[in-house]
Amino acid sequence: MADLDTIELVKDIDVDKYKYGFTTDIESDFAPKGLNEDIVRFISSKKGEPKWMLEARLEAYRRWLQMDEPTWAKVSYPKIDFQDLYYYAAPKSMSGPKSLDEVDPKLLETYAKLGIPLKEQEILAGVRKQGEKSELDEQAGEYATGKVAVDAVFDSVSVVTTFKAELAKAGVIFCSISEALREHPELVQKYLFSVVPQGDNYYAALNAAVFSDGSFVYVPPGVRCPMELSTYFRMNAKNTGQFERTLIIADKGSYVSYLEGCTAPTREESQLHAAVVELIAMDDAEIKYSTVQNWYPGDAEGKGGIYNFVTKRGDCRGARSKISWTQVETGSAITWKYPSCILRGEESRGEFYSIAISNGRQQVDSGTKMIHLGKNSSSRIISKGIAAGRSDNTYRGLVSAHRKALNARNFTQCDSLLIGDKCGAHTVPYIEAKTSTAQFEHEATTSKISDDQMFYCMSRGLSQEEAVALIVNGFVRDVLQQLPMEFMAETQKLIGISLEGSVG
Amino acid sequence: MSTALMTTAAEQALGLALPHRRMEEWRWTDLRQMIDKPYPPRQSVTARDADIDRLLKASPFSKIAATRMVFVNGHYDGKRSKLVNGAIESRAVASEPVLQMNQAFATDGAHLVLSGVIDTPVELVFIATDATPRAIATQNVIEVAAGASATLIETHIGEGSYLSNSVTEIRIGDGARLDRVKVEHDSADAVHLAHAHVTLARDVTLREFTLTSGAKLNRQNGTYNFTGEGTDAKVSGAYLIAGRQHADSRLVVDHQVPHCTSRELFKCVMDDHARGIFQGKVIVRPHAQKTDGKQSCNALLLSETAEFDAKPELEIYADDVACGHGATSGDLNHDHLFYLESRGIPPAEAKAMLIAAFVGEAFETVEHDGIREALADYAATWLTYHRGKRP
Repeated sequence: MADLDTIELVKDIDVDKYKYGFTTDIESDFAPKGLNEDIVRFISSKKGEPKWMLEARLEAYRRWLQMDEPTWAKVSYPKIDFQDLYYYAAPKSMSGPKSLDEVDPKLLETYAKLGIPLKEQEILAGVRKQGEKSELDEQAGEYATGKVAVDAVFDSVSVVTTFKAELAKAGVIFCSISEALREHPELVQKYLFSVVPQGDNYYAALNAAVFSDGSFVYVPPGVRCPMELSTYFRMNAKNTGQFERTLIIADKGSYVSYLEGCTAPTREESQLHAAVVELIAMDDAEIKYSTVQNWYPGDAEGKGGIYNFVTKRGDCRGARSKISWTQVETGSAITWKYPSCILRGEESRGEFYSIAISNGRQQVDSGTKMIHLGKNSSSRIISKGIAAGRSDNTYRGLVSAHRKALNARNFTQCDSLLIGDKCGAHTVPYIEAKTSTAQFEHEATTSKISDDQMFYCMSRGLSQEEAVALIVNGFVRDVLQQLPMEFMAETQKLIGISLEGSVG
Repeated sequence: MSTALMTTAAEQALGLALPHRRMEEWRWTDLRQMIDKPYPPRQSVTARDADIDRLLKASPFSKIAATRMVFVNGHYDGKRSKLVNGAIESRAVASEPVLQMNQAFATDGAHLVLSGVIDTPVELVFIATDATPRAIATQNVIEVAAGASATLIETHIGEGSYLSNSVTEIRIGDGARLDRVKVEHDSADAVHLAHAHVTLARDVTLREFTLTSGAKLNRQNGTYNFTGEGTDAKVSGAYLIAGRQHADSRLVVDHQVPHCTSRELFKCVMDDHARGIFQGKVIVRPHAQKTDGKQSCNALLLSETAEFDAKPELEIYADDVACGHGATSGDLNHDHLFYLESRGIPPAEAKAMLIAAFVGEAFETVEHDGIREALADYAATWLTYHRGKRP
């Protein structure tokens, strides 16, 4: 019986409850619809980019024309008409960089509504809403009041970057990538495309040709970034693709923690989001990159929703460097995303922690690649997939050790939880060991919440919902713990919304 | 990107296209590249009686099997068999290139109907004698009648340079039990391609074990379709490969009905430059509730230049299931070695003991004592022959 109730409940929840689905009524500047070399030139000139950048974009565009759309992922969707999209949309009130006071109040309102206050004096508790209490506050100590610098990206442009002055004191450069192209062209030229080259894959090539904005971070040697950095992506304009590019460089011995969040309005048509993130960690540096992805997932019948086709890759270039990816994937109609680590440096370390929740008709094909090239490099993958409704949730990952990656070490654990009998959970790991000194372990399980677990919790007086929440929270705990304190509360809430009453 | 490719010499000789690494299932075994010389099909060669008898005796099970069908160079050898030849059943042309090749060139094969309780093992021996390089193809149909119980051994043994392509279709009836053991001991200059297509009815027990140690290039496909409830299948295998040998096994375990259990266990030992590959896929179809499916593959790399690739896949569409897989890769545990050495066992011997224990786990699927011992002996011989006194 409990199973039947569950199925009924699953039908009712979540997909219709997307609470960030509002639209901001703001006048926008569009580039003409469609994609050709002129559009690429238009975007580049709009940004006032140096000539080499335009050349790089055009090369990417020409490569893209030669490539085929990848079809290996376990997702299906109607063919995208790349000529039927706008590749550039910017709020009209935005012309050139502005100080916070000059920003269109409508934009500030939008971000306030999303729980991302941009007024520096108002930011007290990170990405949490103003005045919102969290039980974590007491335990969190200094984190709860810690500041978070935000780069807010609205459609194709960066609206504002907060706490820039304070960061500059520490020597940290945090700005939009268009600004970085103007202010620090030498840094951008040196590192851009060095991890994800223009022709890396179909969507990365598209992004390289038309990316409009994104964040740029440079942490100088020996600096521990004094606050959490964060970027918040918001899609607003209709029929517009969002293509942002993030580049983070942690120089020798530095540390930075970076958070990324995203939402989009509820619309009947699907929208394309093809971002690229490049991370570079030099000797002894550490980058921690966390994502809470909550793009509009489409309605219960799979209408609308974001196509999230993202390339994220980190390069542990230096010895003893470390890159850690943490992701919470709850949104998007289709997710195609594999944050990876190239473990080039000796004793470098890569980590991937993921929670992927799919409901309704969402399709998730996500995972990671750990490519061991350096001696004594190590990596760890923990992936928790939860599939409900009629969704499909796939983990796809690669762990490989190069012949020279002596003593490479990997541990992988992929657990899937199925809720209801109309969804699917799949695990597709690839393991390639080219040296005997590599120690690889891979483990995967698929199960549902057992009746015994439920019975035990409910016999202790918990309601069915509370019991489910407790068990699911236990299921994702290993990953949740990896999130920065600021995101943990948000995430627990999100998991709650996604799975409310859905398990039996 | 264009996939138009030049026809290779091997493809010309066979008159058909070979699979290549752009095809997902062949990503680690690029037959176009790896079959580096032509193996013309349907070559008639004469085999010397002495050769055949010698090879027959080389089967680890020469004294165990009571009934036997012998195929020499793809043709049934009635003189040395103790069964009658059956007709080859016609089947629709499959899309898989290797199956197509088999379809086009199959010369002979066994059609066995096993019914009642057969308590002595039945052996199928496939022999290739030393002659001109050629492609040999056989098609076998094994039917295990409802309620029957039998042990079937399949031995592949040969000398010289050839490509062996064997397709076996196995249908197991309600309540039947089949113990199947396959030993692939083809010549060091041979290519071994095999397909086993197993259909399991209700309440079936299947115990299957495959030992792969011969041939320079190996690709074995197994599909297991669960079509009746209450069926229990254990499929295991071991690789003992060295030199530049290449072995790729791909299993598809397809749970189409509820209440079935499947277990896969592969133990792969690779030495020198050998490369072992395991691709296993467990599918649980919608409604196949209460499926219990576990898959595990462990690789032991004995040299720094050996290689192992794995793709253990789960594709699950039912929620009330307990499925899992595990995959490991590494070299011998140094603590274990140290322990044995500290007890006065010489390093080479200690290693051999640990390797034997490692592969031995997979032999446990074999319940017939005589066969299991013959396999253990085979492994011991391999260890002394290939590794000798190497530390």
